[in-house]
Parts: sequence; C-alpha cells; structure tokens
Amino acid sequence: MLGYWDALYFVFVFIIGLILAYLLDKWAKRSGMGTRETGDGTKIFISGEDPDRIIPGFEHLEGNYTGRNVMWGLTYALKNFFAVLRRDHTGLLTDYASYLVITTAFVLGVLLIWG
Amino acid sequence: MNGETILPYLIIVPLFGAFSMPIISLAGRKAREAWAVIISGITLLVGSAVFHSVYENGPMLYTLGAKSPFGKANFPVRIVWEVDLLSALMVLMVTLVAFLAVLYSLGYMKHDTGLDKYYTLILILELGMLGIAITGDLFNFYVFLEIMSIASYALVAFRNDTWEGIEAGIKYMFVGSIASSLVLLGIALLYGQYGTLTMGYLAVKIAQNPTVVAKVALAFFIAGLLFKSGASPVHMWLADAHPAAPSSISAMLSGLVIKIGGVYALARILFSIYGSSVNMKTVGWVIIIFACITLIVGNAMAVIQTDMKRLLAYSSVGQIGYILLGIGIGLAAYGSRTGDIALAGAIYHTFNHALMKALLFLIAGAVIHELGTRNLNELSGLAKTMPKTTFAFLIGAAAIVGLPPLNGFASKWLIYESSAMFNPILATIAVIGTAFCTAAYVRVLYTFFGKPSEKVMNARDPDATMLWPMIILALAIIVMGLFPWQISDKVMIPVAKALENQLGYIATLMGGA
Repeated sequence: MLGYWDALYFVFVFIIGLILAYLLDKWAKRSGMGTRETGDGTKIFISGEDPDRIIPGFEHLEGNYTGRNVMWGLTYALKNFFAVLRRDHTGLLTDYASYLVITTAFVLGVLLIWG
Repeated sequence: MNGETILPYLIIVPLFGAFSMPIISLAGRKAREAWAVIISGITLLVGSAVFHSVYENGPMLYTLGAKSPFGKANFPVRIVWEVDLLSALMVLMVTLVAFLAVLYSLGYMKHDTGLDKYYTLILILELGMLGIAITGDLFNFYVFLEIMSIASYALVAFRNDTWEGIEAGIKYMFVGSIASSLVLLGIALLYGQYGTLTMGYLAVKIAQNPTVVAKVALAFFIAGLLFKSGASPVHMWLADAHPAAPSSISAMLSGLVIKIGGVYALARILFSIYGSSVNMKTVGWVIIIFACITLIVGNAMAVIQTDMKRLLAYSSVGQIGYILLGIGIGLAAYGSRTGDIALAGAIYHTFNHALMKALLFLIAGAVIHELGTRNLNELSGLAKTMPKTTFAFLIGAAAIVGLPPLNGFASKWLIYESSAMFNPILATIAVIGTAFCTAAYVRVLYTFFGKPSEKVMNARDPDATMLWPMIILALAIIVMGLFPWQISDKVMIPVAKALENQLGYIATLMGGA
C-alpha cells in the first residue's frame, strides 16, 4: 500500500545489497590486475585505470575514469549546466531585485489569467 | 492552567527576556548566559504546553484586550491569536530549535563581544517567529514578520569585523525589505477592499466576493513569501546571508526563519484565507513550478560549493523545494488523498528539515570553531580528530538525503509518493534533486573520512555546551526515524487536515464570540 513502508523491507534490501557487493568484490578481485591486497600495489578493480595516469584536476580526456572519480564524472558531465548556474549567481543586489520583480510579474500574470 | 491562559506567555516571556537582557548583562557574562538559557527554556516549556493543549483540546483562540474577537462590533474587529494544530507544531519546532541554538551559543560565541545585543536579538528573532505562527490577524502577522526579519538582518551582520557579514546583511536587508513591502501591499489591498484584517473573517469576505484586487494581493503574498522561503529564483540572498551569520544563527535561519516566515505563512494564507476563493489548481501549479526549479537549482548548486556553510545554505534551498512541492500538490489536488499525503509530507519535512539543518549548521559551527575554516578542501580527515562531530554529521547528512531509517526518509517518501500519484514527471524531478543532494553530502563525508590533513590534526570535538545540542538533535532525528508512520498518522496527517479545514479555522474565530 502506498504511503506506508515496513522497516523490514529495508533490512531485506540491505542484505541483498551486501550479497551483491560481496559477489561484485569477488568478481573484481578475480578479474582485476592488482598484485597486492592493500597498499600501492593495488590496482582499482572494475575500471582498471592506472592511478598514475590521472592528472590532478582530472583534465585528461583519454582512457577510463576510476570509481573514485564519480563525483568528477558528475560535475564534468553537467559542466555546462553548472556553468549556467554559476553565471546566474552573480552576487549582485540588482540581480536579486530583478528576479523578485520578474517572479512577482509571473505570479501576477498567471493568477490574473487563470486564477 | 488551560491553553488560552498560557498562550500570551509565548510572546511575553521572550519579549521580557529580550528587553531585560541589557540590564541582566550588567551582572556579568554568566548571568547573561544563564538568563538567555532560562528564558528560551521557559519559552520551550510554554510552547510544549501549547502544543499539548491544542493536540488534546483542539484549536485555541485568544483575543487581545477583550473577551471576544467581536469587541463591540458585529464582526471580528480585535486582534486575535488563533492556534490550530499546524501553528502549535510550528511553535514546538521554533521553541525547541531556538533553545538548542541558545545553549550552543554559550560555547560557540564565547570569544565574541557585544553578546548582550546578540542574546537580545536571538530572543527577538524567536518571538517574531512565534508571533507569526500563532497570529490570526493579517497586520499583526506583518508586524511579527518584520520583527523576525529585522532581527535576522542584524544577526546576519553581527560579526561586523568581516566584509562578508556586512555585505550579506545589507543585501538581505535591501531585498528582504522589498519582499516585505510586497506583503504589506497585499495586506493594504485586502484591507481597502474588504475592510478587515482578521484572517478568518477575511476568508469569509473573499469567498463572498472574490475580486481582482484579492488576486493581485495574492500574487504579492506569493512573490513576497516565496522570497522569504528562499525559493528559486529569489533564493540568492540566502546563499549569502546564511553562511555569513554565526553558525547558531545560521541554524535558526535555515532551520526556522525560512519555514515560519516563508512556507508556513504561504500555506496559512493560501489555505486559511484564500482556500475556497481562488482556482486552487492554478495556484498549486504556480507553487509546483517554483518548487521544481528550487529543488533542482538548490541541490545542484550545493554540489559545486567548496564552502561548507554555503553548501548547507544551498541545500536548504533545495529542501525548501520539496516542501513547496508538497504544498503545491496539496493545493492542486486539494481534497483528494494525494493532496492530503502531499501536504502531510510537506509539513513533516518542514519539521524534519528544521532538526536536520539545525544539526548540520551547528556541526559546521563546531568545525569553524576548531579549525577557523569552512573550506572543504582543508577539512580532509576530520573524522580522525573530531569523531563525535563527524558521526553527528553522518546522521544529519543521511537524514537530509532521505536514507531510511532516519526521519528525512519518511517525509521525503510522502512527497515522492504523492508527486508520483499526482504527476510522475514531478516525482522524477524530485528524485533528480535528491541525486544532487546525495552527491553534495557524499562529497563532504568523503572529505571528512579522507586522509587527515595537517590542519585537522590538532582539532578536537567541541566542549559540552556545543556538543549536547548536536547530540540532542541527532537523537531526535534517529528516534523520529524509528516511528515514522506513527508520527505521520498521529501528528502530520491531522495537522494537514487542520490546515485544509478552512471552515474549521473560520468557526474557531466565530465561535469565540
């Protein structure tokens, strides 16, 4: 039934998640290129990227990106969107006031036509 | 003592506390701090008693200076305070968070000067919010809105040794005053048209004769209060003001001020005054459009911040988007089960977010207190030296992202569910917003749990006065998360029903005759 959930469902989902993570870990260890369990000799599994090739700032565009760079991937993929947002947040008081006027005009227009 | 008898003390106690603060301050620092804690503590007790009374006995009405709102006229002419279940819940929320903020200030502000002004303003801020929550008179509402706003402007610029606070305070004051003027203009238009300021009676008059003037006034209310809520695209002041204020104040601004002066006031005006007089679907969709923009822009902007408090401020914008989405769907699907769930979700999230964001800002304050920076790039490995603070952050972040079994999950779930039932595209937008929100907080956690930098090596968890408010808020988040549906069924759904019940609101006023 919509509107209700049972905490038990989340326990089940959590257990299934743990099993999947374990299986993924096993698979990754088998297919990964690392030579050690821990330390510098470890290669990142799944993505198989060589950490030495990663340039600080993540500017390189060749090869794969490692799992730890998911955040970079998100911001890189949406960089145009974020650039627009950044450009829009000028910090200028006049812009703040302009947006308030535009918002008021929009609400007023909608309410007068369809309200 | 019944509810009506104690209600005035909700205003009297913080008002007395605020104006006696400069005199008490003459007795020294300890006396001043004790006085602030005692006053906010008593206000919390009164707030709890008011909530309990309204929950048990139904709405209460208090007429200022008379026994009846009618006075000697044949219509309600006196100023009234009308407290239904929603108002009472807001009162409980304000008094609780304000008390914890005052307690936290004892440690956090100990190196600051001018604290008599600080504690005076913090109590005035609290009483402004409480006034907004309980008033049933539109002009009285405006007075309290201004009391709250002016105290906020001053507190944002409290630390006037940096340009940041002063600039943010001036910007906030300037545009905030324009927004307040819009609200005042709306009130003036309604008073000119209908000749009354009592909310319940105004609802009757507008329903009898809905005019274009009433619609224009409504547009001014919506625009002004969307600004006060921090809704996008009029949210930009918030990202300046909330990080610039001392963290105890940021907790109150993000946790309370944008809720009471923004979304609560908006919901009260839309449901209790205009309920049956406007096209609810249109108004609902207007709110939904702003909600969708808000939750995407707010959460997305949080992702790209390197300043921890600015990140939290943008996150507040994003969370306001969810609350507005619930209110918008509650309006557009008015009277249906979808509308009920959405409204309950919005109210639930309002309360939850007050706790979560207060906690997160208090943590940010503890970090600044210890390290003197809020730049995320310098906070790597904080978990090693500030484990309790980091754990509290983990709780707050998980709750705000909506991770079960914490309190944020239940309220967000209600909002997702109602938006999916109302229009699946809205649910998709809400989930995209949450994806951004998750990214923003995971980044902070990744920083905290990363390799310790040299800068964090000397940090340690703050002292008890700062730690206890954080622990109490974290516990409240965990405990509320354990009983989500009991809280929803026993409190939030009845609160949503009380808000929707415009006739009940009017009857409480008229029954006071």
